[in-house]
Amino acid sequence: MNFLGKSRGLVVVYKNMTQLSLNETTDIVLTPQFYTMKKEKLPLKYAFQAKKIAPSLFDNLLDSTEGIEYFVYREGDEWVFLAYNPDEIYASLLSKNIKAEYIGKIFFAQQILKFLTMPLMLGDSEALVAIEGSVTVIPQSVLQSNVRALTLNNSMTPKNGITIQGTVSSLLTKKQAYILASIFFIFTLIFLGEGISNNGGSNKAQVDLNKLLESNPSLQSEYTRDSIAIKYRTIDKLERKKRDNIKSLARLIFKGVEVETFIMTNKKLSIRFKCVSTKIAKHLVSLAKKSGFKSAKTLTWNIVYIEVNL
Amino acid sequence: MNWKQYQNELIVLITFLLLIIALTYKNVKVSWAIENSHTITSSLNELKEIIELKKRWADKATTKRVDKLQNIVSSSKLKWNKKSKKLTATYIDINSRELNKVVTTLLNIAVQIEKLEIKQTGITYRVDLKCKW
Repeated sequence: MNFLGKSRGLVVVYKNMTQLSLNETTDIVLTPQFYTMKKEKLPLKYAFQAKKIAPSLFDNLLDSTEGIEYFVYREGDEWVFLAYNPDEIYASLLSKNIKAEYIGKIFFAQQILKFLTMPLMLGDSEALVAIEGSVTVIPQSVLQSNVRALTLNNSMTPKNGITIQGTVSSLLTKKQAYILASIFFIFTLIFLGEGISNNGGSNKAQVDLNKLLESNPSLQSEYTRDSIAIKYRTIDKLERKKRDNIKSLARLIFKGVEVETFIMTNKKLSIRFKCVSTKIAKHLVSLAKKSGFKSAKTLTWNIVYIEVNL
Repeated sequence: MNWKQYQNELIVLITFLLLIIALTYKNVKVSWAIENSHTITSSLNELKEIIELKKRWADKATTKRVDKLQNIVSSSKLKWNKKSKKLTATYIDINSRELNKVVTTLLNIAVQIEKLEIKQTGITYRVDLKCKW
């Protein structure tokens, strides 16, 4: 692709050409020896329509349609159809020592028809001329000896051409590349869509949060919220612990066991159980230990003491 | 190097790169959304918890509920001193059934028990209670 619009060299390549040495990217004009041409007046508006029907026009003209591609353009009120084999063209170019990296765009001699008001010499023996609207290769011997010859220059470079390297030397065919590119592009669109539509996914939670904050304006400040949270979490934890301990201790009271004293403050809880026998006292201690009161012990034969730090 | 030689590969490569960019964008957005969602949910849960805690431990109705402790035993067995949001009460000569009722009622009211002392005197009990809310 010529991004800067810089003009490249233009050379004509023909079958009997000797080796050509290129050291920069050059556009190439192929003589009719490399393609088959057909002109038709058809009521078609677009080139893609013409390209679609191109194969049918060459049905009886080509030996084989395998590997054949078509180039179509409009010339006045006629459509010009050119059938070519990229593999053959590429092989010919390589045989003339033209390296793939130096091949620019490839054009067909028919495209420079309007410039061929005089013959374009192809080496010493042949010439490219326009005869009745068709560009043809003829022997130079049929030309008048004093005829003026056309010099090819890049101002004659046609607008559209073909690119052969991509189709011939590529690992992927054009079709494969387009299929893969289409698949990747579809996934790209899907991922972009998913990304754009994913705006948090927690709108309901956000609405609930806003509602709660509106109904509790004192909690809107994070500092206040944290302070209140610490205060009430501490109270809740301590009071739950007190109540849980009292409930657990209440489960230790059975027949033969009475509470003698019970003292509970914010820091400590202690209880003295009076038992009717040593056996019950021992049983109570083991029961208390099973319930998680590791400090349970007998003070006298019938007194069991438990202390819990809160 | 004539990149046209590899134009098909380039087309595939460029669309593949676009795909990777779009996938990364989506993943970043999804991660952000998950993180954002977690933050909001956690803030919401924290706020609900604070409101619940405040409702429980700073409930204005607690003042009324505390009065239940007054009606468990006859006034002759009770010294009752309730001021503002503080209560000091002493239950004297209450039986085990009354003791159970006092303790159960107390545990079911959201007050901060500052002191609870139970002493057995013969077959009756004396209970000293100090709490606030």
